[in-house]
Amino acid sequence: MIVALADSIDSLAAPPRIRVLPDRVINQIAAGEVIERPAAVVKELVENSLDAGATRVEVEFRNGGKSYIRIEDNGSGMSPDDALIALERHATSKLREADDLLKITSLGFRGEALPSIASVSRFTLKTRRPDWEHGTEIFINGGKFIHQRECGMPAGTRIEVAHLFNSVPARRKFLKTDNTEAAHIVHLMRLLAVARPRTAFTLIEDGRTVFQSPECPTMTDRVAEIWGRQVAGELVELPVATGENGLRLTGLIGKPGVGRTTRKEMIALVNGRAVDSRTLNYALIEGYHTFIPKGRYPLAFLFLEIDPAAVDVNIHPAKREIRFRDEGAVRRFVLTHVQERLRELTGFSLNTKAVPETLVDEAARQADAQLRAREAIPEPREIPTPAYPITKPKPASEDFRAKYIPKPTPTTRPWTPSKAAPAQNSVSESKESLPSDEDDSAPQNNAPDAVPLPSEDFPEPASLPPEPRRFRWRFLGRLKVDYALFETEAGLTMLRLRAAHERIWFERIAAYFASQSIARQQLLFPLPLEFEPRATAALQDHLEWIDAHGFSLEEFGRNFYRLQAHPDWLPEAKAEAFLRDLVDRLREGEIDPRRTELAHEQLARLAATRAVRYDDDLPEAAITKLAEQLLECRQPLACPRGRPTIVELSSGELRKRFGLT
Amino acid sequence: MKFKIHRDHFATGLQQVLNVVGSRATMPILSNVLIQAEGNQLSLTTTNLDLGIRCRIQADVEVPGGITLPVRKLATIVRALPNAEVEFDASSGNQAKITSGGSLFRMMGISEDEFPPLPSFADQHIFNLQQDEIVGMLKNVSYAQSKDENRYILNGVFFQFKENQLTLVATDGRRLALCSKEVEVAEGNAGDLILPAKTVDELQRLLGQGDTVKITFSDRQVAFEIQIAKDDDSGLVDSIYLVSKIVEGKYPDYKQVIPKETENRIKIERELLAECVQRAALVTSDKNNSVKLKLTNNLLEITGSSPEYGDSHESMAISYEAAEVTVAFNPQFLLDPLKALAQDEVYFEFKDELSPGVFKTLDSFLCVIMPLRLN
Repeated sequence: MIVALADSIDSLAAPPRIRVLPDRVINQIAAGEVIERPAAVVKELVENSLDAGATRVEVEFRNGGKSYIRIEDNGSGMSPDDALIALERHATSKLREADDLLKITSLGFRGEALPSIASVSRFTLKTRRPDWEHGTEIFINGGKFIHQRECGMPAGTRIEVAHLFNSVPARRKFLKTDNTEAAHIVHLMRLLAVARPRTAFTLIEDGRTVFQSPECPTMTDRVAEIWGRQVAGELVELPVATGENGLRLTGLIGKPGVGRTTRKEMIALVNGRAVDSRTLNYALIEGYHTFIPKGRYPLAFLFLEIDPAAVDVNIHPAKREIRFRDEGAVRRFVLTHVQERLRELTGFSLNTKAVPETLVDEAARQADAQLRAREAIPEPREIPTPAYPITKPKPASEDFRAKYIPKPTPTTRPWTPSKAAPAQNSVSESKESLPSDEDDSAPQNNAPDAVPLPSEDFPEPASLPPEPRRFRWRFLGRLKVDYALFETEAGLTMLRLRAAHERIWFERIAAYFASQSIARQQLLFPLPLEFEPRATAALQDHLEWIDAHGFSLEEFGRNFYRLQAHPDWLPEAKAEAFLRDLVDRLREGEIDPRRTELAHEQLARLAATRAVRYDDDLPEAAITKLAEQLLECRQPLACPRGRPTIVELSSGELRKRFGLT
Repeated sequence: MKFKIHRDHFATGLQQVLNVVGSRATMPILSNVLIQAEGNQLSLTTTNLDLGIRCRIQADVEVPGGITLPVRKLATIVRALPNAEVEFDASSGNQAKITSGGSLFRMMGISEDEFPPLPSFADQHIFNLQQDEIVGMLKNVSYAQSKDENRYILNGVFFQFKENQLTLVATDGRRLALCSKEVEVAEGNAGDLILPAKTVDELQRLLGQGDTVKITFSDRQVAFEIQIAKDDDSGLVDSIYLVSKIVEGKYPDYKQVIPKETENRIKIERELLAECVQRAALVTSDKNNSVKLKLTNNLLEITGSSPEYGDSHESMAISYEAAEVTVAFNPQFLLDPLKALAQDEVYFEFKDELSPGVFKTLDSFLCVIMPLRLN
């Protein structure tokens, strides 16, 4: 007993005594978390300025912020006593009790920044409250208080941070080159500037002004100021959307087809704070699926406002990451609105299901809608008078259509179901006759008394009947196996055949799903299928949904099924593989039948890219036909995977290359 | 080797064996035709290793021997020669000299030793049949073969010799065509084989030049000896020999998919129905590739429709007095048998929209077509 006690005393004596650390060390440790690089200093201090209500913020830095950073604002300032207290740890005016954390509206709140920065640099704070006659200056070097004295200065606060990390050489070693650190500061300042259009920002690097932006009336202007007009020209405004929990989404998003190679320009601000939120990023990427090429990232400035109580900003030392209380809801909210807007721009939507009322009405409505769709310019509709002309509009699909497809003359009308269609029955007219031939042969008037609606038997797919139009591309030849070259009005157009094929089928299959008119071919010999148990479970859960999409499956014992019919469009050999792919995706939740429209799109994409046979040995006529069908698509510019279908070399470009201009 | 031959005989002979040679042969020798001269005959042989053809033509052989030459080029040259009389001399190594009138061609060939011999096999089953009958039967079923390479078992026509009957079956899983005739099948001689699609094509092309064809087959190979008519002046003599691999595997049990009972049956004028279906299908598109058959009291209505082109309506009088039935089909599946058949009248059997439709003739032909379900 005594021996054991002695042992334990020995072992207690062995390790060093536990001590409470001095404040200076605590601050240096905290600085490691909050102040990881010069940009963090800028962030903390500018956020303080903004929280202090500044309308003008000037930031200057040298050598990537390593040797000197100055932040000057015209905010509320501090009294001499407050200024001293502010340099204590966890001293803040932004928070009183823990519950306040739930409704934080200011950018900072922990009261860590100032002491942390002061502990690792030569720190000079000058501040004056408007109601004080003189300001105060506090000088701290490496956490050691040197002096506080009165000084003269305008109302506001000016902080100089010099020799950053001088007192922590280890940290200094980890800094990157001046250029890299400077880039971080510039990026950060751009974010802050975009978040607060009503504040004037000036950023000076090594005596050179990087940007200077006065107060801007709108975010669009600010983006144009800070990110350049070219970027602004590639953006369209996202209409204000509101949702539960005080969700309010505004912002600017890249036009369809505009993508970036990095995620750097996917910018999300939540309650005015620039954050790196996976939730928002994924919502954006998913929203842009098929609208930009694969492997590229959208360009977007999203401004999300949300009830502060529904978001936790206190999970990352630099508050870069945040967590939403209901991640799913936020994701859906953003995804839905981004997609809605993009579809609006491209005029592509799967759920524009045509429900014929009467033949005449329907025809008129469709013709009308088409005219409107074609005449509508997607561009600046909701953008309040852009302060800067949008110089470089990317080809949105309407631009594209306007370029290639002549507007229908008022005399031609789309085909309408009519029982009297004698012209169509002549044997001489092949069913592949080009739509352009139809001007003459299209059945004349659609008498309202044309009784049995064919649409009763064959529900019309969502696709509108194609307009009679002249197809003016001239086939020039094939390049390698994959590409076809065309002479067009614009110049030289290169078409990737497979991409075109996939796009056409994607829309075709999507239309089947939307119209729910799926012809299924019954099989003479039912296809036996065995699934592994977990796949069976997924299959069972979605059997009805799968059936509704044209697969008649019959249970045939444990984990065994027999495929009795498959959709008509699917080549039989691919039916099994496609079904297995589908079940896998259902199992992994990649396709969610509850989100009908998205699921249809995913299913169509799967079918178009994996299941529908593509024959690369096409004769010329078939290639021309393919191009023509592509132009009839709603979104002809990208394949379902988002890669371009055509690349264009304009006549102007050609002239330029040949040195003719 | 040296021989004299009539230009047209030579061209005809080459034409018989030409198709076997693919344009992209993996081995150079497979693009060549083996020419062998002996007696007063020339034999021409080509093969792609799966399928080989040999024919014989009459010629004046001065020096027997053999050589192989690129068959496509040779056939083009022979057809273009100016005089009917052609001299062929391949005495000096692998070079052939062809003279006709004022023309002289020299072609480089490959030694006959390098030519892969046509497979020989133990004849396990032997049947002698009439060429014209086999041609007709093949025509009646061959359109239903599957073109889908993934279902290779169905890429061919199934021949079954059993119970004094020869049955030919082809199916692609969505329709099935069957044709049978009586044949004497001795005990032990019964058997079946799947003839590959390519061989079916060749056989259809070659048959009909004489009376009988002798079929011999084992588990792996089949050979057809196609008699050439005696009074033939094409220069072909004796017989054409075609030997082919067969598709190995078990053909699906076709009997189970043939409806056992007949619910409704109508008699139809074949050509009229074909024309109606063809017209109704004119407005269908890739998206809506179906025609509907609606059978009401003594009336058959055929309709097609697509949002792109419009709709069509055909009607024809029939003799039918049962409940109304509507059933949709892929129009091509209806047209194929209608076009292949020669009879003026065919029978169409059906039950409801989910059950297959069946074309039948008075002789043993039937074609089962699975409907399209529209919802």
